[in-house]
Amino acid sequence: MKEIEDKELKKLSIDNLTHLFMDNINEQNLKLIEGIEFLVQEDFDKFKKNLNYVIETNTEVQIKKKFESKIFKSKLMFSKADRLKLFNKINGIKNIGEFIANKMLLYKAVFPDEQFKHHILSILESLKNISNDLSKAVKLIGSDLSKAHDICEEIKDERRKMRNEEWQLLNRLYNYDMDYISRTFIYLKELIEDIMMLADHIKNFSEYIQFLATKYLIFD
Amino acid sequence: MADELTAILVIILVIMAIGLAFSIGANDETLASLVGAGVLKFKIALIVGGIAIGSGMILFSGGFVPETIGKSILGEGLEAKYTNYMLLAVLISSILWLVIGSFAGIPLSSTHSLIGSIVGVVIVYTIFQGGMDLSTAFNYEKLRDVVLSWFISPITGLLITYILFKISAKFLLSRLKGLNQIEKSEKTFKWLLFIAVIFAEIWVGANSGEALGILLGLRENSSITNGQYITFAIFCGIFSFVGIYFAARYVIRNLASHMINTRPSEGFIIQMSSAIILMIATLLALPISHSHVIVFCIIGMSIAQKKEIDLKGLGKMGLYWVLTFPIAALLAGSIYLGLSSFGFL
Repeated sequence: MKEIEDKELKKLSIDNLTHLFMDNINEQNLKLIEGIEFLVQEDFDKFKKNLNYVIETNTEVQIKKKFESKIFKSKLMFSKADRLKLFNKINGIKNIGEFIANKMLLYKAVFPDEQFKHHILSILESLKNISNDLSKAVKLIGSDLSKAHDICEEIKDERRKMRNEEWQLLNRLYNYDMDYISRTFIYLKELIEDIMMLADHIKNFSEYIQFLATKYLIFD
Repeated sequence: MADELTAILVIILVIMAIGLAFSIGANDETLASLVGAGVLKFKIALIVGGIAIGSGMILFSGGFVPETIGKSILGEGLEAKYTNYMLLAVLISSILWLVIGSFAGIPLSSTHSLIGSIVGVVIVYTIFQGGMDLSTAFNYEKLRDVVLSWFISPITGLLITYILFKISAKFLLSRLKGLNQIEKSEKTFKWLLFIAVIFAEIWVGANSGEALGILLGLRENSSITNGQYITFAIFCGIFSFVGIYFAARYVIRNLASHMINTRPSEGFIIQMSSAIILMIATLLALPISHSHVIVFCIIGMSIAQKKEIDLKGLGKMGLYWVLTFPIAALLAGSIYLGLSSFGFL
């Protein structure tokens, strides 16, 4: 994502800054997922390029700073604290993504077999879906909390499916004829766990959006 | 000597009545919703609220609730007049019971306490004054209306809040889909809340006739002139303002900090409902408990929103509500009995 001028950022509302920040983080998240897919395909150059992109990109910092200064002075009354929390939760995705990217770059593992690769790609596809869905849900908070709530329900369903796959994958990993203190074993185990950590954050985030919908929507 | 003693007693009663007006302002909680919603700066909110409660007290001092307390609750047997020692016993008892309540952390109604004290004192006076009949000691019609209003006002407050919320939910609040729309609508409600709180404060002042009722009692038994009554009524208004500005700020700030997440629309409905009840009660010259009305308005809101109600807390409040009247009556009766045994009738 290209750099945005400070003047342009100044013109944006709190809502628009949140959307822009979400787009920025989602884009980085998708790059991370794509990078892991390259790792699965053993295309290490592209893998490294994508993960470095996640680590080095900092366009979101200026958006964050602008948002923080705007919300501090804003005259929004009762949703101010919730909007700030929402923004910090988006930022949490970036922090986790950056952590995963740094860790993944420490080593380049070769996957044990095609079945394992297939499972990982399936989990990554789900992660991509929930990441995109979360982005949609965040953008709907301002205009349609009910729809945002429904999308979050779908995220939670997808996350449930992912969890089953995660256990199957770990089970598979532990049953390979592999040295359990080998770097490959540790790397793959942590890769699965870190993907799940990111998925868990997205799930918790969607639960927070549902909390907001419950808090603010009034039904007759 | 007797004249000097009477004069001192009148001065004490006037000071106590003005002190009571101060405590009415000092116990004000109505402004908390206004401060919590961030409508006005804290000090400005205190000034505006103080002016509203003070002017309500002064504007309605000519009759209405003060007249009920100071005159029309009494029957022909007493010629609708208190003696100064009766007023002293009433004041000591109601203040004492409120102080006990505050130390024990029990929410009590100053209105119920005062009326209970009046009933206790009048009963003791009737029994120990030869040739007096209890059937003519009270204006029973008025007393019945006052006691009935204590039951009707909270329930009506609950119903009005429930209905107002249901109507606004059906036609406005449920149609707001996103946070931006909700925020925009609540900004409008913020100013409506401001109007509702000021409106409520005026009627809180008008209905808080405890202090002015005592002063009106003094006017009726000719201890003070009408001119003095008006002057003291103005003092009561000023002191209720001072009470809000200097003493209520701690309670208001504390309550307001818990109300940051409260929607102005909800605050508006609750305040408007309680203001309507207070206005009707004041115009009917019925002293009611503002705290009880507001608690029931909040319950009405909770029922409408299908929220859980603290039944244990409600039961506790109900118990003290029932107990306040007889305890205040017993306390005041005992104090007056003590005074009369020394010949202070």
